[in-house]
Amino acid sequence: MGFVQEILTSFVAIIPVTLAQSLILAFVVLGIMIPFRMLNFPDLTSEGAFPLGGCVCGVLLAAGVSPLAAIVVAFAAGFAAGCCTAFIHLRFRIHTLLAGILMMTMLYSINLRIMGKSNLSVFGSPAVFDWVPFARPGFPASKIVVAGLLALIAFALLYMFFRTEKGTAVRAVGANPDMAEAQGINVWAATIGGVGLASAFSASSGALMVQSQGFADVNMGLGILINGLAALMIGEAVVGKQTVWRQLLAPFAGAIIYYQLVSFCLAAGMPPPDLKLATGLFVLAMLALPSLKRGRGPAPAREAIRE
Amino acid sequence: MLEIRSARKVFYKGQADEKVALDGLSLSLATGEFGIVIGSNGAGKSSMLNAISGALILDSGQILINGADVTGMPVHKRAAKLARVFQDPMRGTAASMTVAENMLLADLRSSKRTLRQGLNATRLASYRERLSILGLGLENRLDTRVDLLSGGQRQSLSLIMAVGGSPDLLLLDEHTAALDPRTAEIVMRATVRAVNALKLTTLMVTHNMQHAVDYGSRVIMLDAGRVLLEVTGEEKARVTVLDLIGHFSVKTDRMLLAS
Repeated sequence: MGFVQEILTSFVAIIPVTLAQSLILAFVVLGIMIPFRMLNFPDLTSEGAFPLGGCVCGVLLAAGVSPLAAIVVAFAAGFAAGCCTAFIHLRFRIHTLLAGILMMTMLYSINLRIMGKSNLSVFGSPAVFDWVPFARPGFPASKIVVAGLLALIAFALLYMFFRTEKGTAVRAVGANPDMAEAQGINVWAATIGGVGLASAFSASSGALMVQSQGFADVNMGLGILINGLAALMIGEAVVGKQTVWRQLLAPFAGAIIYYQLVSFCLAAGMPPPDLKLATGLFVLAMLALPSLKRGRGPAPAREAIRE
Repeated sequence: MLEIRSARKVFYKGQADEKVALDGLSLSLATGEFGIVIGSNGAGKSSMLNAISGALILDSGQILINGADVTGMPVHKRAAKLARVFQDPMRGTAASMTVAENMLLADLRSSKRTLRQGLNATRLASYRERLSILGLGLENRLDTRVDLLSGGQRQSLSLIMAVGGSPDLLLLDEHTAALDPRTAEIVMRATVRAVNALKLTTLMVTHNMQHAVDYGSRVIMLDAGRVLLEVTGEEKARVTVLDLIGHFSVKTDRMLLAS
């Protein structure tokens, strides 16, 4: 009994820290969901866009730029990276996954160039989290408030956008590009803009993370994609994906649940090096579930990420 | 009106399997005319439709819709002038979106999409009214995802989407071929009603010779990428299935069955 209690105590103690972290990382999950679900464009750029945002933010903070401006610039840098991935796919007809891998590999060098070294400490620099009144600096409550507020704004804006005429057109591009084109929708513009926006969210997440942890590292994106995918799967399993509302809520709900699960596993004594294997197996299981349920019947309908 | 001037398209140019899809094809269709396109497989029917819609860019020649040259215009720009119903019901609709959302997409085909709310009460009411003409009960299923509809319902929806907004040109690409006879009849009747009511300039590709005899004001038979025969006016009124079949250089099973 004492053993279980010990696990629970250490888990509960870090719930606020994990919550703050998961609200920041929810933006990466959003950046994975938008191309994957809204545009039918499985995209790996986030693995490069997340550290890109981090590096840009780190360098700007070190140069004394305001933390909010640093996030805005990181957002723009991520947008550009996403646009490049979409352009590579559209112009050269390279598979979306390969286009994403190309972009993420090239971004590694670019990130190193931006920082000039592999990591940069910005500890003590101002962060957007300091702006919350009545909260002691460093305490996770301020991070939860700021990241939660940003998540709420992003959710509301996206929800409103996808209900507009333009937003409906973007969704049509993901649902049936031929039909969208025949209905007068510019598929190129919608795809480039959509994937760009998604990477911009991933980069903003990186920027927030740097301000939260106090340092930037070129390797900070390692494995972020598979974590995000796992979070998205959980989110979709819990809140569903039938409507735009649910589909947009899934990344946020999924991120919160997933990172608490991870934290619980670590508290229960799982060795941290095994974490990626466990996450990978989890994502595999979630992807394999529909085909296991179906049995070895006739060829299933093609799904974007399993080909 | 539609005008095609000596359109030429060659696939795999200079290779062993070179194929001339359109060989100096010329055709003109007056405003309000309903043309029926027939021809054996490989005659160039689909290539012609794709060239008109912009999915296929011509090697040479010109395409004009209502006098405007659209030869080099991309598909999404041409969409303002023309609407198309495909043979496959899956191709003309967005499966994961609702009936109302699909109607909205078609509604905005020729206008600029704004950041205003897409589906509003006025629009929903008009969609309900337009769908009720079909008599399939689609007007009560505006919030149903299109992939839950049957093939016939989807094709009927595609048709209503295409004729909405009175396009300058309506292209029907064997749009009843994938449906069962009863549904095909419903869709065909709705097509004729819409085309007549809105006086749409229409080009319909079909393998069904009976349809070619029964509908339209002109029959255009293609062969080897050019127009082999045109039947209009008095002659069109008297033409029979056997007359048409007599002109086929290759008689496929499907055409014989249709007779």
